[in-house]
Amino acid sequence: MTPFLRNLLVIARRDFLAIVATPTFLLFLLAPLFMVGMGLVGGMGASQLADSARGAGRIVAIADAADIEALRAADKSLRAAMPREPATLEIRLASASLDPVAVAREKGSDTYAVMSGPLTAPRIVEREANSSSGRYLALIAGEVVRGRVAGAPPPIAPHFEALTHGGTSIAAQQSLGFGAVFVIFLVTLLLAGQTVSSLAEEKGNKVIEILAAAVPLESVFLGKLLGFLGVAILFIVFWLVVAIAGGFVAATQLDPAAIAAAGKPAAALAVAPASGWPFFIGVGFAYFVMAFLLLGAVFLGVGAQAGTVREIQMLSLPITIFQVGMFSLSAAAASAPESGLAKFAQIFPFSSPFAMAARAATDEGHGIHLLALGWQAIWVALVVYLSVRLFRAGVLSGGSGWKFWKRKQA
Amino acid sequence: MTEFSVEATGLTKYFDSFKAVDHVSLQVPAGCIYGVLGPNGAGKTTSLRMMLGIVDPDEGTSRLLGGHRPQAARHRIGYLPEERGLYPGMKAREAIAFMGALRGLDWSEGRRRAATFMSELGLERVIDEKIRKMSKGMAQMVQLIGSIVHSPDLIVLDEPFSGLDPVNQERLETLVKREQGRGATILFSTHVMAHAERLCDRLAIIARSARRFEGTVDEARALLPMQVRYTPRDGSDAVAALLPAGAARKGEAWHFAIEDSAVEPLLARITAGGHGVAGLSIARPALHDAFVHIVRQVDAGFDGDPEEDAIEEDAA
Repeated sequence: MTPFLRNLLVIARRDFLAIVATPTFLLFLLAPLFMVGMGLVGGMGASQLADSARGAGRIVAIADAADIEALRAADKSLRAAMPREPATLEIRLASASLDPVAVAREKGSDTYAVMSGPLTAPRIVEREANSSSGRYLALIAGEVVRGRVAGAPPPIAPHFEALTHGGTSIAAQQSLGFGAVFVIFLVTLLLAGQTVSSLAEEKGNKVIEILAAAVPLESVFLGKLLGFLGVAILFIVFWLVVAIAGGFVAATQLDPAAIAAAGKPAAALAVAPASGWPFFIGVGFAYFVMAFLLLGAVFLGVGAQAGTVREIQMLSLPITIFQVGMFSLSAAAASAPESGLAKFAQIFPFSSPFAMAARAATDEGHGIHLLALGWQAIWVALVVYLSVRLFRAGVLSGGSGWKFWKRKQA
Repeated sequence: MTEFSVEATGLTKYFDSFKAVDHVSLQVPAGCIYGVLGPNGAGKTTSLRMMLGIVDPDEGTSRLLGGHRPQAARHRIGYLPEERGLYPGMKAREAIAFMGALRGLDWSEGRRRAATFMSELGLERVIDEKIRKMSKGMAQMVQLIGSIVHSPDLIVLDEPFSGLDPVNQERLETLVKREQGRGATILFSTHVMAHAERLCDRLAIIARSARRFEGTVDEARALLPMQVRYTPRDGSDAVAALLPAGAARKGEAWHFAIEDSAVEPLLARITAGGHGVAGLSIARPALHDAFVHIVRQVDAGFDGDPEEDAIEEDAA
C-alpha cells in the first residue's frame, strides 16, 4: 500500500467511526422509517378514500324488459376493452314513473350518467357534459342495436401472441433512465451534503494543524470523502437489506396465485434497460459513487473555506440549489436521450454521473461508461486538488483569521 | 544523516503587507535540544510552521533530516502545535494511536505504546477515557505523547510547557531528555527562560520577525557583562574608590557589572584594599537577563509604535 493510500485510509477510518459510533447515527439511519411510515399512513388514507368513492359510483340504464339481457351482455364484452374501467352498470326496468333526472339525483351513490328511452335514440343525462360514462352508455346501446340489425355475427377466435424479448419500449427505458437519475440524485442529496461541514470539526478543535503537519492535505480531503462515502454506502446497504428481507417476507405471505393475479408489477419487471439489468445496476452504483465524490468534493472544498457554523448553514442553500440544478439538467437529458442537451449533460462533469446513468437505460453501449467514469474520476481529483490549493493558500496561510476573503492582497 | 536535522535558510512570510517572519535561518545540529526563544508574536510559530512545510514560505527554503523536503520526511517528524487540538470524542489510547497512524505507525503498535507512555507519565487512570472528559493539561500530555509515539528523529514542540503544572513540566523535561538520549533531535519554542536554560544545547532568539541571536546558552549569557556582588567586612564607604564607576550599594553589599578582563585586577584591588571580604560572588547573568537585554535592544531599534507592529499570533 502506498503511503498516500495509507494516510487516506487512516483519515477515512477515523471519520467513518466518528460518525457511525454515535447514537445520532442510529437516528440518521432510521430516518427513512419516518418517511416510509408517513407515506404508509397517507397512502392508506388516500386509498381508502379512493375505494369508498369507487364503490359508490354507478351508471344507470333504464330499459325495457326485452333489452335488459342484451345490455348486460354488451356491457360485459365492452367493459374489459375500456382503457379505464367504467363505473358499475345498474339496469332498471323502465316505467312511466321513473324519471331519469330523478334517478341521476338519487342520494347514496355518485351517478355519473343515466340512459333512458329507446335504444336507437337514447336520452342520456350526464353529471358532467361529454363524460366518458355517457359515451360508454351510448356505446353499449349502439352495440345492442348493431347486433340486432346484422343478426348474430360469426364468433371470432383471436390468437394472442406476446413479444417475450426485446420488447421494452423506448418510453419505458426513458422512464427507467429518469428513475435512475432520480434515485441517484435523492441519495446524493441526502448524503453528500454532510461533507460541507466535515472540515468544520477539525477547524473547531484545531486538529487541522496536526493533520496538515502529518499528512498531505489531499489525503485529508480524499480520506474524509471516502469516510463519508462509507457512511453513505452503509446507509444504502442497510436499507437494501431491509427492503430485500421485507420482499422475501412479503413473498412467503402471498400465494403465487395472488402474484399472478396482480399481473401489473410482473409486467413492470419485464421492462429492461438497454444495457441489461446487471450492467445497469452495476454502472448505476458506480455513477452514484462518482456523483457522491464529485459533489462531495465541491461541498467539502466550499465548506473548508467557511469560518463559522453560521457560514456553513448559509452555504447549504446554494449547494442544494446547485444539486437541484444538476438534477434538472440530467432529468431533461434523460427524457431526450439524443439531444444536444443530453450530450452536454453527459459531458459536463457535475451532471455527468446522473446523465450517464440515464444513458445506460436507453443505450446498449458499455464501453462509453468506462470512459465516463474515468472522466469523472479526473474531475474528482481536480476538484480535490483545487480545494486543497485554496485551503492552503487561504485558510492555513491566512495570518489573521480563517477566512479566504482576507487573503493577502499583495 | 548530515550533521544538521534542520536547515532552514531565509524563511520569510508576509501576512498582508506585514512581514511576520523576515529571513529567519536555523541550523539545528542532529541530536541536540534546540530552543527557539522569543516574545509573544515574534514569529516563532510561523517560522516553525514554514520549517515543517505546513505553511508555504514566501521566500526561503527548509530542509529536514539530511536534505529532505519537509513533506518527504513526514514519518520521521513529530510535531506538537501551539494550538492544542484533539478529537474530543476519541479515547486517549485511540487518539495517540491515530496520531501515530498518521505518521505511518501501525495501529496496534500505537495503542500498545500509548499505554506504555501514559503509564510512565502517571496517566494510567485515563488511558481509556475520552479526551473531552480530561483536564486541559492531561489532554496536552496525551497530545504530546501522540506527537512522539512513532519515535521520530526530529521532534518539534511549539510552546510545550505552557498550560502544564510544575509536576508535568518536570515530567516533560525528563521526557525530552530521554528522547534526546534515544538519538532524536528536539526543537522547541518557548518564552519561559528557565526551561530553555536547563534543557537547550543551543538556542535562537527571534524578536520582531527576525533572528537576533544564535548560539549556546553560555554564549547568550556572555552577551552581558558579569555581575559582581561584594560585601566588605568593615562596611566602610571608602571601598567605593576601589570599585568601578556605577557600583551601587544595597544594604551591606555592592552590586556592579564587570568586563571579563577586569576580574583578576578587581580581585587584586580588593585583596590589597584591606577592607576584607564578607561575601563575594562573580556570576554570569541568567539567560532571562540576556533575553530581555536582546529583546529590549531590538525594540529600541524600532522607532514606530510597537502596537502597530504587534502580530496577533493567537489568531494565526
